[in-house]
Amino acid sequence: MKLDASIPDGPLAEKWDRHIFAGRIISPANRRKYRVIVVGTGLAGSAAAATLAELGYDVQVFTMHDTPRRAHSIAAQGGINAAKNYANDGDSIFRLFYDTIKGGDFRAREANVYRLAQISNRIIDHCVAQGVPFAREYGGGLANRSFGGAQVSRTFYARGQTGQQLLLGAYGALMRQARLGRVTIHPRQEMLDLVTEDNRARGIVCRDMRTGAITSHAGHVVVLATGGYGNVYYLSTNAMSSNVTAAWRAHRKGALFANPCFVQIHPTCIPVHDEQQCKLTLMSESLRNDGRVWVPKNAGDTRPPAQIPESERDYYLENKYPGFGNLVPRDVASRNAKQQCDQNKGVGEAGLAVYLDFADAVKRDGLPAILRKYGNLFQMYEKITAHDPAVQPMMIYPAVHYSMGGLWVDYNLMSTLPGLYVLGEANFSDHGANRLGASALMQGLADGYFILPNTIGRYLADCPLPLPDTTASLFTAETKKAESFITKLLAVKGKRTTGDIHRQLGRLLWDECGLLRNGAGLGRALAEIPAIREEFWKNVLVPGTGMQLNQSLERAGRLADYLEFAELMVRDALDREESCGCHLREENQTEDNEARRDDANFCHVSAWEYRGEATTPVRHREPLVFDNVTPSQRSYR
Amino acid sequence: MFRRIGGRLKSNGYPEPCRRINHDPETHAHIMKLRQAILTSVGRKALMALSGVMLSLFLFAHGAGNAVAFLGSEALNSYAAKLHSLSFAVIFFECVLLAAFVLHILLGMSLFLENSQARPVRYQVERSSAQRTPGSRTMPYSGVVILIFIAVHLVNFHFTDRSIPAAELVRKVLRQPFYVFFHISAMAVLALHISHGFWSLFQSLGLSHPKYDAALKNSTLGLALLLSALFIVIPLCTLFIDEFLL
Amino acid sequence: MAKQKIDITLQIWRQENPQSQGSFQHYSLSGISTGLSFLEMLDVLNENLTLNGQEPVAFDHDCREGICGMCGAVVNGRPHGPEPGTTLCQLHMRHFKDGDHLVIEPFRARPFPIERDLVIDRGSLDQLIQAGGYVSVNTGGTPEANTIAIPRETAEQAMDAAACIGCGACVASCPNGSAMLFAGAKVSQLALLPQGHPEGRERALNMVKRMDELGFGNCGNERECEASCPKRISIRHIARLNREFIKAALFSE
Repeated sequence: MKLDASIPDGPLAEKWDRHIFAGRIISPANRRKYRVIVVGTGLAGSAAAATLAELGYDVQVFTMHDTPRRAHSIAAQGGINAAKNYANDGDSIFRLFYDTIKGGDFRAREANVYRLAQISNRIIDHCVAQGVPFAREYGGGLANRSFGGAQVSRTFYARGQTGQQLLLGAYGALMRQARLGRVTIHPRQEMLDLVTEDNRARGIVCRDMRTGAITSHAGHVVVLATGGYGNVYYLSTNAMSSNVTAAWRAHRKGALFANPCFVQIHPTCIPVHDEQQCKLTLMSESLRNDGRVWVPKNAGDTRPPAQIPESERDYYLENKYPGFGNLVPRDVASRNAKQQCDQNKGVGEAGLAVYLDFADAVKRDGLPAILRKYGNLFQMYEKITAHDPAVQPMMIYPAVHYSMGGLWVDYNLMSTLPGLYVLGEANFSDHGANRLGASALMQGLADGYFILPNTIGRYLADCPLPLPDTTASLFTAETKKAESFITKLLAVKGKRTTGDIHRQLGRLLWDECGLLRNGAGLGRALAEIPAIREEFWKNVLVPGTGMQLNQSLERAGRLADYLEFAELMVRDALDREESCGCHLREENQTEDNEARRDDANFCHVSAWEYRGEATTPVRHREPLVFDNVTPSQRSYR
Repeated sequence: MFRRIGGRLKSNGYPEPCRRINHDPETHAHIMKLRQAILTSVGRKALMALSGVMLSLFLFAHGAGNAVAFLGSEALNSYAAKLHSLSFAVIFFECVLLAAFVLHILLGMSLFLENSQARPVRYQVERSSAQRTPGSRTMPYSGVVILIFIAVHLVNFHFTDRSIPAAELVRKVLRQPFYVFFHISAMAVLALHISHGFWSLFQSLGLSHPKYDAALKNSTLGLALLLSALFIVIPLCTLFIDEFLL
Repeated sequence: MAKQKIDITLQIWRQENPQSQGSFQHYSLSGISTGLSFLEMLDVLNENLTLNGQEPVAFDHDCREGICGMCGAVVNGRPHGPEPGTTLCQLHMRHFKDGDHLVIEPFRARPFPIERDLVIDRGSLDQLIQAGGYVSVNTGGTPEANTIAIPRETAEQAMDAAACIGCGACVASCPNGSAMLFAGAKVSQLALLPQGHPEGRERALNMVKRMDELGFGNCGNERECEASCPKRISIRHIARLNREFIKAALFSE
């Protein structure tokens, strides 16, 4: 299979405009004849659904939540980047493009990322017009702050709730279209499968999570905006119900899955405090601006932090990276924290944490100044841990946060299955091997508000108009399959709960396919995952029936997909014999133990093709070409 | 695509040009008529508040009038006579007052009935935060007590033999210990009602501002006590001071 | 604070489906770590129930960071439990004592029908937003962001209101089952910002009308909503809704 990314010709800055002009436009009178199915209502899904409805398409929206406003985009704290250059500090579209592509360790497409930077400014315009209460300067203009990975101040924010405010903006737009009757919202529906015909996406199969009823829905286009798969690790900062199911089922139907091993691990999370914990909470990265990271110099030192004298503390980031100190990028900070803990220098009950100490900052600036900056974060930390960071050092540990990998899409955001578009975190585009802070919101909204509405016409113009009949065998066969899948899950009646098995899978992946990877460990994981999968299908215990609200069943279905997906993820990690972005491949290090990228052999997107349960998937390569920037090796020493 | 306002059609079937027609289905149906607005929950609460303002003003006026009693029976009698001589104005104000009363009661009842339906299954454990006050908790019930009091009060002082001089009438009624007990209890309930009602009316009318909110919240209890004290002192004096209003 | 283990008893509302009659069931849990969150405690209960062949308690939750608004139950009479400014997922077991008895009920209000156990349908809040809780602006046709200057203090106040997570605790705690804090927060946010002004009057009128139609009760100014709001949204925003509504009812053309 030849992967054609459909990147338009011409100079980088003109590609998108040329592409729009060369595309097809559906006449306004005809748009209502086209039905678009949007699955997921996060930033990308809500924005796309609202905008397509504004254009006049018949939009059907599916969400697994009780209302579209719950999607996990809502939890994004930091902000959204845009190349407005309001700070007059030398920012530009090209600089945002460059920072993003460099931050992604040169594993993303130039054309996509440049388009993202171009669109970033219009996103801010639109969100302000929607009434998003962005932070303001005293003069009434929009405020900016700086964020990791950039030397300019370009991040727009609404307190620590930027994701929430942007999502509520998109949600408002969606509600407006729902009121006008142009959008139909189907809440509490979980997509169980994609319906394809002649290798085209034709509809979806859903389970009503309230009644268990399985229904199918036909559409000219199916848009997946179903988020990331970080929960494959069991513990992550993702929401509890975030899952890979929709993307994975589409993959099984023929959509290629790109770079599944690219997962971002965030350095500043609240550490695991209990065996029974199921969720990690992120603390904003901005804390590293004033906090100093340290561990005891002596392994196994269990004294409380106040009793460890200055001379016995190891400020390892400051010592190792004098230039950047505590502000090294996410991957470097995460990796070093894990290495310290692996050397038995970790702190906290489980030894799985490092200190983030504000004592010096408080001494220097005074407590009020520190509380002005971080007061809400200190409160949040205290609420969870009962410790006040102003009095004793915070404890932090890395946690899985964002998945850069996802379904492969071309420049139009269409997957390898015609008619199936993939937006937001669910696709693989734009962030390469590592995502910069404040870029996820930008990408989700760019995909939804501005890109898909301008590319969907290209497919629809040639799409057969009559909608397939959902009572025909094409659809009924799929609903039957979904029903029998559920019956099969319920019939196992084993002895282990879903959570138990998921924890086992998560621990394996965290150990072998986390921050640090090596061939031997990945090989072990690859051998072990099928065993866990077998254990699942033999021994999982799912109580209740299929025809009721059954949260255990929902979780079991998602885990079944994670158990298949995990294998692909590990396979991809094994295949990528280089250190890049978030990951250190231990065989590929420089002399001083830093990541070594291998542009000669791995400057490509790995897109995996599903070949059946018993067959090894096939890897396709989309080479990445850099005409406008020169890939450089990162160094923070 | 046309939305007709007011339902008027010209003979040719086209809607009559109207000052405001929304041709665009996107803008909201039409601006609500005042009557419809009044019937909404917020509209009724606003009227509740306005009628409450009128009743409060009346209470002040009534209290001030009653205070004439402290100047002696003659002053009270001449004040009453003067008041009754303004028959037209009195009737007018009585009508307004009656309207405010009826409105306040009817609206209160309608809101109470609706609210009692808004939670068909009650909680097993009902625990209020500290925010709820005894006044806010009991508004409908204190209202009923006040209504009963007013009825009794009117029978005693209004729908009675008008030839009896005011001072004598007051002594006749307020020398009965049982009645005075009832009167004082009702006034305590009135204080309870006002302790929530006064602050609440500002909130319902949207007259809230961070600069004045604290002062308002504090003054509401003071006002309630002041008003009820005004109405409690006279019965107490009448009952316990033998020469009062003689 | 060192972690401890506590034993608690639970009394939880169980209801098979919207049509069925529910009832309270009693459970006891021992050795619950005080480091767990309230929902993690329920996870433990569910794990136990599942292994004992019983059906676990259904409860809504998702982000577990206090922002998605999905979780919520009434614990001993208080929505989201006894701690102020906290969602149920951020409530921790260290706030409870050994031997405590916890009564856990779903949020109750006529517009919030029960789906199962503690899971409720809050679609009515969506319908309320549909009545006008947005700015009617299409993607694309918007002016440069900095052409609208908004005083910092105004933006902050708008953000105070916009912090609403749509959990429904205000309705659940209101003695009258009113959604005035929810509606007030949205109307207030958009009344403070110039972007919301063109539709301000229609928004206030339509949202109040819709709120009544949906079966929510009337605001009794009892301030319970404010006390149970996990984002501590002030009833000042209800006052602003009232003001906007009265202005619109009296002066709109």
